[in-house]
Amino acid sequence: MLYVELLAQGLVQGSIYALVAVGLTLVYGLLRILHVAHAGLFTLGGYIGVLVTNATGSLLLALVVSMLVVGLLGMAIYRLCYQPILDKPPYVALIASIGLFIAMEEIYRIAFGPYGISYENPPLQDVVHIFGITLRLGEVAVGIGTLVLIGALALFASKTRFGTVWRATVTDPEMAESFGVDIIKVRYLNFFIGSALAAVAGVMVALLNNLVEPTMGSVPSYKALAIIVLGGLGDVRGTLLAALALGVIEAYGTIYLGNYLDRDAIAFAFLILVLMVRPQGLFGRA
Amino acid sequence: MLQLKNIDCGYGVFQAVHDLSFSIETGQVFALLGPNGAGKSSTIMSIAGHVKLFAGSIHFDGEDISSLPARERVKKGIAVAPEGRRLFPDLTIEENLTVGGYSKPKGKEAVNRDMVFSLFPRLTERLKQPAGTLSGGEQQMLAIGRAMMAEPRLLMIDEVSLGLMPKMVDVCYNAIHHLKSQGVTILLVEQNTKRALDVADQVCVLESGNAVWQGSAADAKKDPDLIEAFLGMTKESAA
Ligand SMILES: Nc1ncnc2c1ncn2[C@@H]1O[C@H](COP(=O)(O)OP(=O)(O)OP(=O)(O)O)[C@@H](O)[C@H]1O
Ligand SMILES: [Mg+2]
Repeated sequence: MLYVELLAQGLVQGSIYALVAVGLTLVYGLLRILHVAHAGLFTLGGYIGVLVTNATGSLLLALVVSMLVVGLLGMAIYRLCYQPILDKPPYVALIASIGLFIAMEEIYRIAFGPYGISYENPPLQDVVHIFGITLRLGEVAVGIGTLVLIGALALFASKTRFGTVWRATVTDPEMAESFGVDIIKVRYLNFFIGSALAAVAGVMVALLNNLVEPTMGSVPSYKALAIIVLGGLGDVRGTLLAALALGVIEAYGTIYLGNYLDRDAIAFAFLILVLMVRPQGLFGRA
Repeated sequence: MLQLKNIDCGYGVFQAVHDLSFSIETGQVFALLGPNGAGKSSTIMSIAGHVKLFAGSIHFDGEDISSLPARERVKKGIAVAPEGRRLFPDLTIEENLTVGGYSKPKGKEAVNRDMVFSLFPRLTERLKQPAGTLSGGEQQMLAIGRAMMAEPRLLMIDEVSLGLMPKMVDVCYNAIHHLKSQGVTILLVEQNTKRALDVADQVCVLESGNAVWQGSAADAKKDPDLIEAFLGMTKESAA
């Protein structure tokens, strides 16, 4: 049963990575920018989740508010931070993004205090037994929530006309524009969806740890970068699979290698190993 | 239908095309010829709205489109099958066509798709296949088909036959002849000069970003020196 339980926990952790990394890979695909500040939006998602839940008692409302606010803020970051420097070399945007991320952490520290905040009545903490394994309701919610959101996104991207155009734009914006696509609109949509998904991840991590602190985004920020490299930069399906794989590897790794390497070291050892064998990422074409 | 007036265009500070002027009449096939690096692709992409115009103007149907963004130009009726095809590799044939028709109402998609399939029946066999896995010839068909989804009145095709087997070249030229007979105006870039001269009405030869010869395809065929000098063909094969 330990194996199955570890698998389940790995998938839950992987789901969270997936929600964060999808937005990152979308931005990379569209703009060739490593959007480090994305992790700052993840943290903000957590803060809004806790604050709104504490104020209203509704986690669901908190989730919706968090997605909307963070989604809009993601659009604003595109407009104010990235759009003006798109014609500069990519490292300019990278530096701007890192600067923004640090500033966001400091703003959270000033606004919400250095020690973090918690749910007053943490929701979804009950324990459930399914298929002989024990999980917290929150973990089940993370798994199901991710499945529903990513499923909806996949349906939109593959079954609708605008979804098709969106995927086309991510692979070749100039050609997409040649056929009448307003790529600025696609970029806004991209930032909204990616940021809203990161907000969901933030709310969920806040739920699982019952804590949101200013630096909550720092580990996910570099781990998500590792994941999108593993997934083949800009490749959404690859990113999702890489995120789940990393979650599972970490779960098993902490049990079997935990005495030698900590969780994050295992993740990066995995990244290094994979890139030695497959420099184009796990699923990328050579 | 299309007039280029003294255009200079290029990338950043680099100027690829100098003081180029030509016009294309409705229903004509216009061939842009010249050696590698002459500026043929740059010219096409500046008409499409992707390469920056430094000076001069581009008029389409009498309207100055020089400052229109690319997505507005396709709505005016200009579509491109660019150099290297630049299909959306992860999208299927069907989806590539959907994107091609994005500037038209959704209701026109099915009709236009059928039109493309009657032009290139081979595409129907592989509707769900990702474009990246198609053969070179199929990719060129799809690139032309994708452009046709926009119902262009001016179709621009860069490097029609580059890298294709002779049979595939025939398929593409048959399509070009058919489109011409339907009244579509066509601007093409071609390495295979003989092929181009066979289908073209007018020719412009570019070299190092300058137009060095312009005239009718019939005259181009009659002028062996020109063909020697610029088109790298022997007199025999042109005859
Ligand atoms: N993206 C770019 N950035 C900078 N310079 C470019 C770019 N694309 C083309 N050039 C330069 O512009 C000039 C004209 O190139 P262009 O691609 O238009 O030529 P071409 O006639 O299409 O050649 P080919 O037959 O090789 O396709 C060349 O000197 C080329 O190096
Ligand atoms: Mg070219």
